[in-house]
Amino acid sequence: MRDFNFLADDTLVDALLAEIAGLMENLAARNISGSIDLLGLPLSAACLALLEQRLGTGEITATLTAAGSSEIRETSFSGVWWSSHADETGRIVAMLIDVALVPEILKANTDDVRLSHRRLLDATGSFPHRRSA
Amino acid sequence: MSDQTAAPDQENLGAMLARRGFGRRSLLKFAIVMTSSLALPPSLAPVMADNLAKAKRQSVIWLSFQECTGCLETLLRSSAPTIDSLIFDFISLDYQESLMASAGAAAEHTLRQAVAANKGEYLLAIDGSVPVKDGGVYSLTGGRSNVSMLEEFAGSAKAILAIGTCAAYGGIPKAHPNPTGAVGVEDIISGKPIVNIPGCPPVPEVLSGVLVYFVSFGKLPDLDDRKRPLAYFGTTIHDQCYRRPFYDQGKFAKSFDDEGARQGWCLFELGCKGPTTHNACASLKWNNGTSFPIESGHGCIGCSEPDFWDQGSFYTSLAGSSATGWRNAGIAAAVGLAGGAAAALSARSKTPTIPEDKS
Repeated sequence: MRDFNFLADDTLVDALLAEIAGLMENLAARNISGSIDLLGLPLSAACLALLEQRLGTGEITATLTAAGSSEIRETSFSGVWWSSHADETGRIVAMLIDVALVPEILKANTDDVRLSHRRLLDATGSFPHRRSA
Repeated sequence: MSDQTAAPDQENLGAMLARRGFGRRSLLKFAIVMTSSLALPPSLAPVMADNLAKAKRQSVIWLSFQECTGCLETLLRSSAPTIDSLIFDFISLDYQESLMASAGAAAEHTLRQAVAANKGEYLLAIDGSVPVKDGGVYSLTGGRSNVSMLEEFAGSAKAILAIGTCAAYGGIPKAHPNPTGAVGVEDIISGKPIVNIPGCPPVPEVLSGVLVYFVSFGKLPDLDDRKRPLAYFGTTIHDQCYRRPFYDQGKFAKSFDDEGARQGWCLFELGCKGPTTHNACASLKWNNGTSFPIESGHGCIGCSEPDFWDQGSFYTSLAGSSATGWRNAGIAAAVGLAGGAAAALSARSKTPTIPEDKS
């Protein structure tokens, strides 16, 4: 199969960077997070590569293993994350720019914490040595 | 999750998934994928995940009428165990005669039971057209005509999903001379919310998107004037086609094996109906995102449009077609009235109404 990707369009990438800058301003001034759905835009692979290159790589890369693998990587701009989600077959099913202090999907959910707490108590017999102490 | 210990049929989806080892992050990831698919703002994904976690499984009663079972096949074979398949955890398929073990009187009893237990709440899914000629005798189930069953079971449904071009518009059974008097669901039923999900077969992810939206927000997504989900049918194949730049440059394949075809040029002159066909094939693709017909070298045949079978040859260019509707649209496309990448961007930015948080 031929690769039908066309030349990267600087204009599109510049427009996206401007949108990201706007989201960063919102985050810094009002603590409001935002996201851009990259797969929802008609971007070629070359365009995506150029955007990725312009954003660079930052200090944190997290791998999430839930219904397939996801990589959430901070770019060289603090609070700007490149989130790439694959399904169990490895196919990329979502790709986002998240502008947030911490992307929502990295945070533990309180319901999950509650369940895990119960599981831990079950596994340890509810810490009987502590109760007797 | 307040009902962690509820009976399995009463527990919410969050509890059910947690019991099976799926944490909330999986649900959020699913919601991220679905908001992208539905062209909703990504910021809505956490709201969708929360709503799904609190929701109960949605009852779906599926009736097959004058059809080839291709629609059901494509939906069942849509995926390996991918994240998309989580949709099967969100619905309770309470009746589908091709899939269920029971038959005959037992199946009819199951149908009555499912309808009674979910009266006013179930989604009625229909695949296949409805023959109405000669009292509808051309397609019967248990001695009952399709039209009689549709009228009865639509009455207590919350909404109706017309799946595939046959259920939406009559499809191939309706093709000239339409010997059975085949029509689509909306030709019979009025006063009920109906979603048309055309395609021969339809793109499975579209059905997933509609179901997830309904379970998450308690209502149907925004529809266009043909009752199709706007997020998937708001633009044409042509406007999202990766070969579109060749069209804009005037580079067309003249035959299926010429140099233009080998270079992947536009298939417009070989009869591609992409410019007049509204569907999501070019963006969602088929077989887990592998490709779609144009990517495989064949033009779009327009299978999700009404009466596509009667619009002349699949291999006649729209500009030269004798079918009035397609000819007009084809001429418009040929003179470049469609707006290229701007149109594609605009279509994706036709963001459907942002649903309110129902929690």
